[in-house]
Amino acid sequence: MSSPSLRKPGEVVFSLLLVVFSLFVFWQAYKIAGFSSMSSAGAFPMAASFAMLLSSCFIFVKTLRTPKAQGMRFFYHCLPPVVAFIMAIILIYAVLLNSVGFTLTSFAFLFICIQTLHRRSPFYTFALSLITLIVVYIVFRLIFQVVLPEGIVPEDRVIAVIKSLWS
Amino acid sequence: MDALSYFATSWVSPELFGLTALGTFLGIYIGAIPGLSVTMAVSILISFTFSWDVNNALCLMVGVYMGGVYGGSRTAILLNIPGAPSAIATALDGYPLAQKGLAGEAIGLSTVMSVIGGFVGIIVLALAAPTVSKFAITFQPRDYMMLGILGITLVGSLSGGSLAKGIFAGALGLLVGTVGLDPMTAQERFTFGDVNLWNGINPVAVMIGMFGVGEALHQLHYMDKTVVKQKINRILPKLSDLKKYLPLSLQSSLLGVIIGALPGTGGDIAALMAYDHAKRITKNPKVPFGEGAKEGLIAPESANNAAVGGAYIPMLTLGIPGDAVTAVFIGALFIHGLNPGPLLLTEQPHMFWFTVGNLTLSNIFVLIFGLTGIKIFSKIVECPKGILIPIIFLLSIVGSYAINNSIVDIWWMLAFGILGYFMRLYRFPVGPVILGVILSSLTDQNWRRAILSERGDLGPFFAHIFTSPLSTVLFLAIVWIFFTQTPIWTKMLKPRLFRKKSST
Repeated sequence: MSSPSLRKPGEVVFSLLLVVFSLFVFWQAYKIAGFSSMSSAGAFPMAASFAMLLSSCFIFVKTLRTPKAQGMRFFYHCLPPVVAFIMAIILIYAVLLNSVGFTLTSFAFLFICIQTLHRRSPFYTFALSLITLIVVYIVFRLIFQVVLPEGIVPEDRVIAVIKSLWS
Repeated sequence: MDALSYFATSWVSPELFGLTALGTFLGIYIGAIPGLSVTMAVSILISFTFSWDVNNALCLMVGVYMGGVYGGSRTAILLNIPGAPSAIATALDGYPLAQKGLAGEAIGLSTVMSVIGGFVGIIVLALAAPTVSKFAITFQPRDYMMLGILGITLVGSLSGGSLAKGIFAGALGLLVGTVGLDPMTAQERFTFGDVNLWNGINPVAVMIGMFGVGEALHQLHYMDKTVVKQKINRILPKLSDLKKYLPLSLQSSLLGVIIGALPGTGGDIAALMAYDHAKRITKNPKVPFGEGAKEGLIAPESANNAAVGGAYIPMLTLGIPGDAVTAVFIGALFIHGLNPGPLLLTEQPHMFWFTVGNLTLSNIFVLIFGLTGIKIFSKIVECPKGILIPIIFLLSIVGSYAINNSIVDIWWMLAFGILGYFMRLYRFPVGPVILGVILSSLTDQNWRRAILSERGDLGPFFAHIFTSPLSTVLFLAIVWIFFTQTPIWTKMLKPRLFRKKSST
């Protein structure tokens, strides 16, 4: 852990991005109604974005003044490969969810994540992901009645087959 | 009499009774597992329970809230890792106690004190809320606007980091809340011509992103921390200890309720302040603070559970969240078609007494589950993060999808998750963002009502602030918060005042 008085790698860029973003939203807020009246639709967004702009400039200047933390690298301490990897996996998951369906994408997602983070044998991970998926499915799809995208897996038929095994 | 029957709703219905028990049980474990926070759990739960009956959903969520605030103490004591932010102060003296082999006693004592704190919070809620609500009807739009701003600046200034970062986070939340069609004029705001954005950004997606994915991504840094096993013998605390520390517990509880009731500040800040308070009033502790003083364990534990009841006061009477979790609760109540605010108590008194009854029941369950099941507990907490974190991701994604069955909400969730990750990394508080999103339309609309009633003129607006004592107090409080951050206060006045204090 680093002491709070030191600047982490990327912090300057992050606070600069905040300034740029605040400037952009301030301009956008101005475009809603301009300075037409204190009670216009744009007045409050302008006030909020102005507060963002002021505070982000203040943060940026303050960040520039703080001494840099020694021996810290952005891709090791701030955005380690594993974090970037997981972010990418979530992104892919969200893209595929609607077309491929909940069961398959979630299984693949759990398998890849658990394998990356837990590092056991693939069989162990496979079983674990399957059990987790079944529990999540039962709890959320069947008990909580959450509608999940079905995709290419004919869930209704699978459930019907499982039910017929009991009766 | 009516109140009593509403109060007992969740006690007599087996379904609600069971859900409260389940919620409390889950809450204790969620709170205890480092990396799973109560805010995270409650925001994920909203998305799964929105199709339920409102009573069932509230029972489960209230249970999780109450249990979760307590649960954080367990891992703080056993592992020196606070399971929840409200248990940070607990770890300071709880872990040294465990190192001395007194883990069981520390857990027992913290359980009982948490429950006492919880009851103090609930009693104050039950007594104060009706009065506050009557008073709240006389509030002017400008008072609501200032309460909103006060909530955001308070949490920004008290959460320990820089006020500028807190204000940035709060203003960002306010801005996110304005996206979409303006409810008063139907003008488009930040929609960039996209019809999908007319309804704005779903606040639940923002919450799950900030507290679910953002937090879980952050936890990936701490994958290798191993769990140290502790032997636990005696759990029931000694009666003499209870008697001895009861006054301190009651004091800290009252402090906790007050901090909890302030808009924006919740259990985490209450616990830290109570710890400070205990340190100041305990003249000759048997064991120095930080080395296993029981006072240092009792004060934060009573305070953080008392803050739960406190946080409900502004939420139920004003519609202003007392902390991040109650901000999420307000989101849940909106989804269920309820409108928390000064009229809730008169129009739907059953909701109020139902909540009070529910909190009470859940607090009793904290006592029961807190003093039993320690063995299973240590097993569950040892669940490796490599398995836990993927499940949190999965639940976050499914949860944000489930609210509207829309993929767009997943994108927002992910975007706010990544933003939340970097904000945490660079020490920005994320709580104010959620408070901002929830408070946005309230602050916006009341600002416009206030300024319209002054015919758009700022002069009379400020002049009229000083005609009402309440507005004056709120205005001065906001000015005071900003003033304490200026160099005039930090460099010139504060050192002088402190010197005075230490010399007397």
